[in-house]
Amino acid sequence: MTVRAGTQTLVDDVTLEVPPGMFLGLLGPNGAGKSTLLRTVYRMIRPDAGVVRLNGEDAWRRAAAWVARHVGAVVQDMPAEFPLTVRDVVAMGRSAHKALLEPDTPHDAALIDAAIALQQLGEFQHRTFRTLSGGERQRALLARALVQQPQILVLDEPTNHLDIHYQLSLLRFVREIGVTVIAALHDLNLAAMFCDRLCLMDRGRVVALGTPEDVLTPARLGEVYGVDATIQRHPRTGTVWVLPG
Amino acid sequence: MSNSAVDRAAHLTTLRTAPPSRRRARGIAFPAAGASSAGRGRFLAVTVGIIALLFVCALAGLMVGSVSIPAGTALSIVVHWLSGGWLVTPDWREAYEIIIVQTRIPRVILAAVVGASLGVSGMVIQAIVRNPLAGPSILGVSSGAATGAVIVMRFGLVTLGAFTLHIAAFLGGLAALTIVFWIARTGGQMTPTRLVLAGVAMSAVLSAVTSLLVLTSPDPQLAARVLFWTLGGFGSAQWKLLPIPVIALVIGLAIMLVQARRLNLLMAGDESAVALGLDVERFRRGMFVLTAALTGITVAVSGVIGFVGLIMPHIVRLLVGADHRRALPAVALLGASFTIAADLVARSIIAPLELPVGIVTALVGGPFFIWLLRRDARSLGVVK
Repeated sequence: MTVRAGTQTLVDDVTLEVPPGMFLGLLGPNGAGKSTLLRTVYRMIRPDAGVVRLNGEDAWRRAAAWVARHVGAVVQDMPAEFPLTVRDVVAMGRSAHKALLEPDTPHDAALIDAAIALQQLGEFQHRTFRTLSGGERQRALLARALVQQPQILVLDEPTNHLDIHYQLSLLRFVREIGVTVIAALHDLNLAAMFCDRLCLMDRGRVVALGTPEDVLTPARLGEVYGVDATIQRHPRTGTVWVLPG
Repeated sequence: MSNSAVDRAAHLTTLRTAPPSRRRARGIAFPAAGASSAGRGRFLAVTVGIIALLFVCALAGLMVGSVSIPAGTALSIVVHWLSGGWLVTPDWREAYEIIIVQTRIPRVILAAVVGASLGVSGMVIQAIVRNPLAGPSILGVSSGAATGAVIVMRFGLVTLGAFTLHIAAFLGGLAALTIVFWIARTGGQMTPTRLVLAGVAMSAVLSAVTSLLVLTSPDPQLAARVLFWTLGGFGSAQWKLLPIPVIALVIGLAIMLVQARRLNLLMAGDESAVALGLDVERFRRGMFVLTAALTGITVAVSGVIGFVGLIMPHIVRLLVGADHRRALPAVALLGASFTIAADLVARSIIAPLELPVGIVTALVGGPFFIWLLRRDARSLGVVK
């Protein structure tokens, strides 16, 4: 697929296939096209050429609500202007499953409770969203995506604003719940630890696609990021470990 | 994570469950049934409180005026009139009944309908442009309607009969909105910021046009008439004026309540709303036209009354939260109470003369708005 904005090509003739259950990490410098690619998946941007297929169906031939029942996204904007409670925000995730005027059922309430409990937001649930810290906000948005009951989870810089404990627990969590995950990540080591496959992008194109070992090589990191890096193995987990400098 | 493994597994299983029945439970929802049950008792208490307030304001609206009528008599007359003369035996002067039925009831109803319309329009507009500092006047609709009406007064166009002024005001509002739309859409997406800026620019141009029309008019009385009209008032209330605004309010509010869940998504931001399954641009456009029509009609019947649509949604959100399923009915009731009370002040403070009600709402609403800004500038998104 290709996405353009004016004369700029943001995503240039990229083809990606993500099988069910895979955790795919998108890497690349700022402006590489990671976010743009993700935005096509949750139907924010329509590709100028090519299609987005979900379970074999063209996402743009289906309603926005259909896509939202299959794809949950954690995006960057924060609902902080209005005094919405954390529970209000999480409950929004059920919207795509509801007919107009259909009331919230005990089933919805159970899903919302479960997502809030999993993200350890129980004590905050009646507080307004804007009073939360950055990390708590991020967890609330993840809980909102969970109650969409998605098959695919799209995460745009999910570890932003999170301390190291929650960075690890968030990535471990999304890997373990068994949904397909597509995440744009900045931290190469976290990506190597958690992702099944990595996709390294640069200026709208895919530079490398494969396992962390295949993708993260000193030559590629030099070429794409312009940094001199040493690649080692993590002493305990055995995953690829990037040491810059 | 610190949850026990068992809890965690149970929560995950819950998240994978499908609804208990494949057949979807349909039916008219009580606003926000089941949602955040902790706030439900509070919601009911607040609603009862606002209804009581509305009742008190309406009753006072019937009692106070050039002739004051005791509460008991006013109530008896209303019951007598509503029951078609069956329930209460008249023991009052006939003049009282005429005053109540012919003058004060339509006036109170008009004030209530205008207040409710402005309240719900304001609330929806704030969600559409995702800015709690917006109001019905921000999108140029009010000034467009005012300009339309002034054109009619200035050139003495009465070709469409008694309702010429109202039709012109409505069309003016719609025309202004169309232009604002067109400006905001130029060059791609229609973002909230573009909409607000286009509306502000439009309002500035239109008030200049209005001033120009007034200043160049041969009629020395026009300035006073226009001023009175642009400050709003319910002095023209009559029964025959009521059907259009009442129907508009009923239809508009019904549509908004049906769409309440989607309106909630707009508060999350465009990117999130799309990810949550809303066709944002189309939805925003539809809601925009709806609120413009509702605002245009209120301006047509009562002139420009400021601050109701800006302030009432804030108070309601503080009382019942931001969920539109609760906030919309509450803001309709509170807006109605507020305008009835404001009208009461406007017609009794310098009796037998009347103040334009817009002056009263601005004198109350302006300081409240400033207090709001100072209290919580950061959380309102003014300061990031």
